[in-house]
Amino acid sequence: MNTASQAEVSEIDPSARCTLTLLIATALFWLVVSGVLALLNFIQAFTPTFLADCPLFTYGRLRALQETAFLYGWAANAGVAVALWLLARLGGAPQRSLNWTRAGTVFWNVGVLAGLIGIACGEGSSAAGLHLPGYIQPLLLVAFGAMAVPGVLAWTGRSRPVTFAAQWYAVAALFLFPWLFSAAQVTLLCAPVRGVLQAIAGGWFVQGLWTLWLAPLALAAAYYLLPKITGRVIPNYDFASFGFWTLLVVGGWTGGRHLVGGPVPAWVVTVAIVSCTLLLIHYLVVAINLRGAFGQPGVVLKFVGFGLAAYLLGGLADAVTAMRSVAVLTQFTWFAQAQSQLALGGAFSMIVFGAIYFLTPRITGQAWLSTPLIRAHYAAAGLGTVVLIGSLAAAGWVQGHDLANASVSFADIAVHTRPWLQTAAAAQALLVVGNALFALHFLRSVCPCNAGATTLPFRQPPTMEASAS
Amino acid sequence: MRNGLIFFVGLFAALLASWAGVVLGSNAQLGRLAPYYDENEGKAFPERAPGLAARGQLVYDDLGCAACHTQQVRRPGFGNDKARGWGDRQNVARDYIHQTRVQLGASRLGPDLANVGARKPPYDAEDFLKLLYTGNGGMPAYRFLFETRAVVGQVSAKALHFTGALAPAAGRELLPTRRAEALVAYLLSLNNAYEYPEARPVEPAAAQEGTKP
Repeated sequence: MNTASQAEVSEIDPSARCTLTLLIATALFWLVVSGVLALLNFIQAFTPTFLADCPLFTYGRLRALQETAFLYGWAANAGVAVALWLLARLGGAPQRSLNWTRAGTVFWNVGVLAGLIGIACGEGSSAAGLHLPGYIQPLLLVAFGAMAVPGVLAWTGRSRPVTFAAQWYAVAALFLFPWLFSAAQVTLLCAPVRGVLQAIAGGWFVQGLWTLWLAPLALAAAYYLLPKITGRVIPNYDFASFGFWTLLVVGGWTGGRHLVGGPVPAWVVTVAIVSCTLLLIHYLVVAINLRGAFGQPGVVLKFVGFGLAAYLLGGLADAVTAMRSVAVLTQFTWFAQAQSQLALGGAFSMIVFGAIYFLTPRITGQAWLSTPLIRAHYAAAGLGTVVLIGSLAAAGWVQGHDLANASVSFADIAVHTRPWLQTAAAAQALLVVGNALFALHFLRSVCPCNAGATTLPFRQPPTMEASAS
Repeated sequence: MRNGLIFFVGLFAALLASWAGVVLGSNAQLGRLAPYYDENEGKAFPERAPGLAARGQLVYDDLGCAACHTQQVRRPGFGNDKARGWGDRQNVARDYIHQTRVQLGASRLGPDLANVGARKPPYDAEDFLKLLYTGNGGMPAYRFLFETRAVVGQVSAKALHFTGALAPAAGRELLPTRRAEALVAYLLSLNNAYEYPEARPVEPAAAQEGTKP
């Protein structure tokens, strides 16, 4: 082992092998589950008779199921895994108290499973992002607290007083989620606020989930991976803290963007529009800092670059569609779905895929088994995401224009959007195949029985990247 | 950012500020919104829905109807909600003060239902039940909300009468379950016809006239 690979593979990584593998494996399981549920949901959108006789899978419940499996199954597990890993690395010490994470992960995933069964049986709530039954949520809150313990210890016990942007984002996500989640539980489920205030609190929560939890998790990975792989400092790094605080301070105020024209005080919507526009400063800072991720060789940076492009585009789309004159067309249509896919599937998932491709060989000491499989995953995920978002946006555009014309009936709107929804379903199927391949590849690559398969457990850093150029 | 304490306080303050601003701020404005008492009619609006309708809202909630139907009419001139016959005025916060689970919805794969109980031509309970049983265009049929059973004595007054392929076999009858009845009672209760002072329609044409010198 030469010095370069020693720097690449520190003794910090193997300590967390078992825990992080567990987190990522469960995350990938839920990713595939939510993909299949989303596929069924899309088929229902253009074939209403599909599964209509099964009360467990009405269109509305399936929609809630796939969203919950994605957010609390895939995004939470994978996000925590990436955050814990990079906090330990940047903290400069092996992870401590990983038992907490393992126990928390088990309880979290049991909770998610029970919650999904509860939603299918009609126990869920209708608040976006918070469909899980009320009785599951305290369990998830405690389990998340346990999962995040090593992250907090890695922050407080860090060997350097100076901190990095990746650490700020990761710590912010781990620290803020419990507060966000419990505030939403109290105001929406335990002691529901009155009337339309529920919709306002729900909007605050669902935007907070993105701007204060998932976006920071993805950005933490991006801010860590880019300089690590390219070996160059982040340009204009001084602005990074400005971008960070802009997201954190302004992000929570964007909730009203879902309520344009609704029965809520006009200032709620206006504040959201202003905040969405102010957030453009944050996106600009991210673009300046991380512009080096575009056009780089190596599979990790390809995923990260794709995800960053989706992140920036999503921020721009949020700012534009929050405007009242645009929202009057796009609101209540598939366009909103396209935007959430852009954020969750395009930005979050792709960046986290990149991070998993980077960290897995380092924690297990085993290289990825097959470069063609990685290429296939990138092709399927990239193409699937682009086509899915494009066709949903087109469906939304058609639907928005039809809705604005009172002489077009809903049956006609269904006919007009049908080809786009069929395209979206095909893209979703491609995504499921790609992600299932990734899950199998991951399981085979981390399996201890394959330990001898690679002659060099610690290969040179560039090869370890499984550089599919 | 060397000082961890200030960092955490900053994070917490950022979250708290947005929560206080958006949720507590609007709560301060609307949390005590009272029904509007109309002296001419001698009662207060919005009226409380009957108990069966309140249960029907839970059915609406757990089936996920809000995934396709909104319950928020936008003001005339902003979108085309009035022309589609969904309501003559925009919904206001006061319309929802008695609802335990507000179902504003975020997607219109189907029509807005804020005033579906006052729909023209009028729908009665049987029309709604038949719609739920057969489905309509993009809307799936919810057959699991109905049961077919053998006729004992007389045919039940609640039985649905279909002709042709949908008609139940001889000696059997098609009945809505309690859930279906509650759901329909809820749909029939959705009616925001009363015009509050703050809900007078703001027609764009009228606004233009007002700005003329």
